[in-house]
Amino acid sequence: MCRTGGVPEPSGTGDEAAMDAAFTALLEDSAEELYESAPCGYLSTLMDGTIARINATLLNWLGLKREAVVGHRHFVDLLTVGGKLYHETHFAPLLRMQGELRGIALEMKTSHGGRLPVLVSSVIKHGSEGEPLLIRTTVFDASDRRAYEEELLRRRQDAERAHAEAERARAEAEQARRQAETDRERLADALAVLQKSLLPDSLPALPGLETAVYYHTASPDQLGGDFYDLFPIDGDRWAFFLGDVCGKGPQAAALTSLTRYTLRAAAHHDPEPDAALSTLNAVLHERYTAGGDPRYCTCLFGILEPGTDGRTTVRLGSGGHPPALLLRADGRAEFLPTPGGLLVGVLPTAPFATATTALAPGDTLLLYTDGLTEARTGPARDDLYGEEALLAFAAAHAPAAPHAVITALTELLEGFGDGPDDDTALLALGVPAPADPATNDPR
Amino acid sequence: MTPLNITHSDTAAGPVLHVTGELDHARATALRQRTERLALRPGQCLTLDLSGLEFCDSTGITALLAARQHALAAHADIVLAAVPPALLRVLTIVGLDQVFTLRPSGKPPVA
Amino acid sequence: MDVRRRNNVTVTGPADAPVLVLAHGFGCDQNMWRLVVPALAERYRVVLFDYVGSGGSDLSAWSQERYSSLDGYAQDVTEVCEALDLERAVFVGHSVSAMTGVLAARAAPERIGALVMVAPSPRYIDDEGYRGGFTAEDIDELLASLEANYLGWSSAMAPLIMGNPDRPELGKELTNSFCATDPDIARVFARTTFLSDSRDDLKDVTVPTLVLECAQDVIAPREVGAHVHAAIPSSHLVTLDATGHCPQLSAPEATAQAILGFLESRL
Repeated sequence: MCRTGGVPEPSGTGDEAAMDAAFTALLEDSAEELYESAPCGYLSTLMDGTIARINATLLNWLGLKREAVVGHRHFVDLLTVGGKLYHETHFAPLLRMQGELRGIALEMKTSHGGRLPVLVSSVIKHGSEGEPLLIRTTVFDASDRRAYEEELLRRRQDAERAHAEAERARAEAEQARRQAETDRERLADALAVLQKSLLPDSLPALPGLETAVYYHTASPDQLGGDFYDLFPIDGDRWAFFLGDVCGKGPQAAALTSLTRYTLRAAAHHDPEPDAALSTLNAVLHERYTAGGDPRYCTCLFGILEPGTDGRTTVRLGSGGHPPALLLRADGRAEFLPTPGGLLVGVLPTAPFATATTALAPGDTLLLYTDGLTEARTGPARDDLYGEEALLAFAAAHAPAAPHAVITALTELLEGFGDGPDDDTALLALGVPAPADPATNDPR
Repeated sequence: MTPLNITHSDTAAGPVLHVTGELDHARATALRQRTERLALRPGQCLTLDLSGLEFCDSTGITALLAARQHALAAHADIVLAAVPPALLRVLTIVGLDQVFTLRPSGKPPVA
Repeated sequence: MDVRRRNNVTVTGPADAPVLVLAHGFGCDQNMWRLVVPALAERYRVVLFDYVGSGGSDLSAWSQERYSSLDGYAQDVTEVCEALDLERAVFVGHSVSAMTGVLAARAAPERIGALVMVAPSPRYIDDEGYRGGFTAEDIDELLASLEANYLGWSSAMAPLIMGNPDRPELGKELTNSFCATDPDIARVFARTTFLSDSRDDLKDVTVPTLVLECAQDVIAPREVGAHVHAAIPSSHLVTLDATGHCPQLSAPEATAQAILGFLESRL
């Protein structure tokens, strides 16, 4: 406490005197004055709610005259309608049951038609026999607190709404993810079925001939642009082909499908290589290039005709495809040149090159796509493997049966860094060497 | 990877497209669109100067064939000039050396 | 489904005595009856329960669809009667439960043989030629009060009730009764109660009925008591000299006497 003015008192007794004077002044603040002018509202009601006493503070807040209230009005009369209902259904029963109640939010009506948010606490005063006599109630102005609570409630509701929104979005995303997963699986199944239609499940067994294949697709959907097939065309002749369509993915697959079934049908009609390739050329040209959408394939198509002397005659036609490779029983390796054959499907009519050879026991014919000859090699993977390297590789391995050739080339391809980076197909056909091991490796 | 770059110049004989970089699956469409937009008059000659071409795969060849079709449809001619050896080898294998007119240099023939 | 557990059923009084079923109204639970149960249970078997969503009921059994109409609450009543295999029991319903009893007695006449309607109101909102005491806007205000006190109950009330060292048993019950009331459930019950109009159902009452009203009740004014009495030919009207909507708390002796008097007169 800070005193102003006055003469400095002697220490000790002077301070105590001043304190006494202050307390005396406070004591003159009578209990009546304290009740009437307290910073909160007070009221006492009979058990039926009739207001018996009310302080000036509350009268002032509500704009009411004492004489109009005391003995005339009930506590609920001071409340808004919502407050009344709440009082009757919650407040009064609870107060009766436990004898006191604190901090209940209600609204009071003011005489000017306004509303005063209040916090109400009540206690029942009991008589000497324990019988309830009256209800004492304090009323606090809760305008600020109510505004704060309403804000809190609004924030909470906003948060709940946002949470519900987020939950819904999460559920939708999860549903979409599951749908995508289902779609992906269905698509994968469809692709697998489609892919099976592009290639034979397995090569048929040819009497007196050995066959082997290697097939690799670079595209993640497993739809390759390379193709091959081997099938009987009449009593003892067989047709085979291997090729490469332009492009990648589903469009290449559609072209591959058309190519495969056209060649199969053409082979049954006229198996001569030049005729089959011409039919394919006409079909592809009509279907694509003539309509302004040039698409084509390169292809080797051949006929196998086993002879009576243990040799099998091969008649081969090429439409713009790299030449086949022969690994002879005597250890030589050579290309079977088919120069001048044009890409299939580019021109309305096209020249195709043909060649004929015979496979003696121990000879192997290798057909390949440019995935082999254009495989990227070297440390930087910027060199192409090339036909010369392939010829040298073949020479180093000849003679070799079809399976041995394919195995060696598979190892070669997989040795190129991470393996072939383009579609690659290899088909090897050969007449098995005699069981007699007399023909040892001539190298 | 080198991006594909196409520059256009006009000569008395007809337009010249100078194609440099790599012509692969991802970029062949750009060349196709570029050639399809070219207005060619009958008798003109479209020259594709490939001296700067570093790589060309099957879709690149498709783009060359599309350019050829576009030229023929306009009753114009098409020439592949300065074809790099690797591409020439491929063109030979697939027989297109007989289909396209090939010229050693990018310069138009003397009139 | 165990209805006894679901509806927190408690039974007191002599085993072979006639049965009274006491049903609470909106706002509280079976504790509302605590001051009258001792007098009633001397000579009657007294069944107390909480509606699903109130007091000690199984909140997981609550659904907005079922409890958005008074029929849902009436179904609770008939299911409790079936679970206890009651026959021609006396149903004592407070406030909105008085109307729930009317619906239950119509649905299961073999179960309910008499009605005591404590401070009933078939419709709270004024209508043409009818004074219920409230307007539609008033009911919106009540809903707002409920919202405002949701924070009040959870923060201000819980410490008070929990910290009542003199009467721990009371504190525990009240905590269950009032603090467990989910505000969403309370909102649905409030709307169902105060927006209902069951005036047409009164004519279906054929069982002996006691209409028990308070002399001064802001929720169910005396005009409403008179309306109910007039609409039910088999009814008897008693006006208690009590103030407020809960005579079983404000005037427990008089309330118990009125109920017992009605029961004696029937026997």
